[in-house]
Amino acid sequence: MSRAGTVIVGGGLAAQRVAEGLRRRGYEDPVRIVCGEPEPPYDRPPLSKELLAGTVGEAEVAYRPAGWYEENEVELLLGAWAEELDAGRRRVGLDSGASLPYENLVIATGGEPRRLRFLAGANVHELRTLADLRRLRSALVAGSRLAIVGAGFIGQEVAATARALGVEVTVVEALPVPLEPIVGPRLGRWFADMHREEGVRIIAGAALESARGSGDRIEELVLADGRRVECDAVLVGIGTVPATGWLEGSGLGNGGVPVDAGGRAALPGVFAAGDACLGFEPRRRTHLRTEHWDAAAWQGAAVAKAILGEEPGRPPLPSFWSDQYGVRVQCVGHPQLADGVAVEGDPAGRDFQALLSRGGVPVAGLAVGRPRAIPAFRKQIEGAVPALQPEKEAA
Amino acid sequence: MSHKAIVDPAECSAHGDCVDIAPTVFRLDDTAVVIGTDTPELMIEAAEACPAVAISIVDEASGETVFP
Repeated sequence: MSRAGTVIVGGGLAAQRVAEGLRRRGYEDPVRIVCGEPEPPYDRPPLSKELLAGTVGEAEVAYRPAGWYEENEVELLLGAWAEELDAGRRRVGLDSGASLPYENLVIATGGEPRRLRFLAGANVHELRTLADLRRLRSALVAGSRLAIVGAGFIGQEVAATARALGVEVTVVEALPVPLEPIVGPRLGRWFADMHREEGVRIIAGAALESARGSGDRIEELVLADGRRVECDAVLVGIGTVPATGWLEGSGLGNGGVPVDAGGRAALPGVFAAGDACLGFEPRRRTHLRTEHWDAAAWQGAAVAKAILGEEPGRPPLPSFWSDQYGVRVQCVGHPQLADGVAVEGDPAGRDFQALLSRGGVPVAGLAVGRPRAIPAFRKQIEGAVPALQPEKEAA
Repeated sequence: MSHKAIVDPAECSAHGDCVDIAPTVFRLDDTAVVIGTDTPELMIEAAEACPAVAISIVDEASGETVFP
């Protein structure tokens, strides 16, 4: 009987890195990727930036040329969705009715956008996939009005790209200061100021109450204080939840899969990586959903090692980047923990770095237009780790 | 056994992840530049971490590209 090998569910970065890592390390059993989307694995960060701006084409964001999968005997099940996990029999049920046996299962289904029930219609968008991108791009016509719900990174990046395309942008944000829970009030205000300077209208501390329109189109958003935001299109960017609904009944729950540093879940032969998992952060002795490109890449590679019995090592500090108005923002560490910030440089000139600390201990660094600051931040924060108090013990 | 890292300056966008992972191999100027060599494992880890996929790793003995 042929071996069941490894089934990877989800076709994003983490999935790609598992497949690559297995083949590079000489894994000879079958590797299958249940892609979900109709495209082979591709890079998502450009969705809100270069792809939306039109400076990069879809063909350029594929992780590998089409021939790579055949050469490496990685089977892509394009457009196939997992619907059920039977961990006892080690099988994954697909929407086609097929059932795939596995020796190792990797849950890499990523995240799916949070939605608002009253915001639905032909001109309401989210941005997570190439299909979303194609719709949104055709809506961003110069002179049109885009309302963005949520001033997180997706909302901010789309706002920046849309401004460059000549679109009038209004951002509605529930928090008084955008990104405050992540980077604190001072840096959050810096982000808001940058967008205002670029002509974006930001309504912060806004309670979105309803939407009005005609037919299947939304024409205005209505805030609790009576203010209205007229729009031709709406983008909803209010975060994501782990795409783990298909695991219901499997024993893994539906809120993201907790894993150890090697991506091992609580069931035999089951691993998870990327936005669908809650990775273990040894510095804080807790499981965290990081939702960053860097984490998905590392976790995917770590799962490949773990499947082959290698030690994946210690995960690097979380890090992420954002590109807006031609400026790169980079962050490393755990900014959510900070109670203080020291800024050096010229925030108004979009050229500065900020060291975030908790009780005087460095916990994160943020650099704007200064990529070279990041390695030094990383050293400084890693060096301070023994002083970091765990906020809770791991379950 | 020796491996060589190559940075494509047209692709590199100075994230600096490679410098974090392998400071013996990379330095950050306007883009990442190669300054040395290290174990194949560390060099591949640095290449894997590059968000721009700008780093390739070549096995000098065989001339084979081991990453990407």
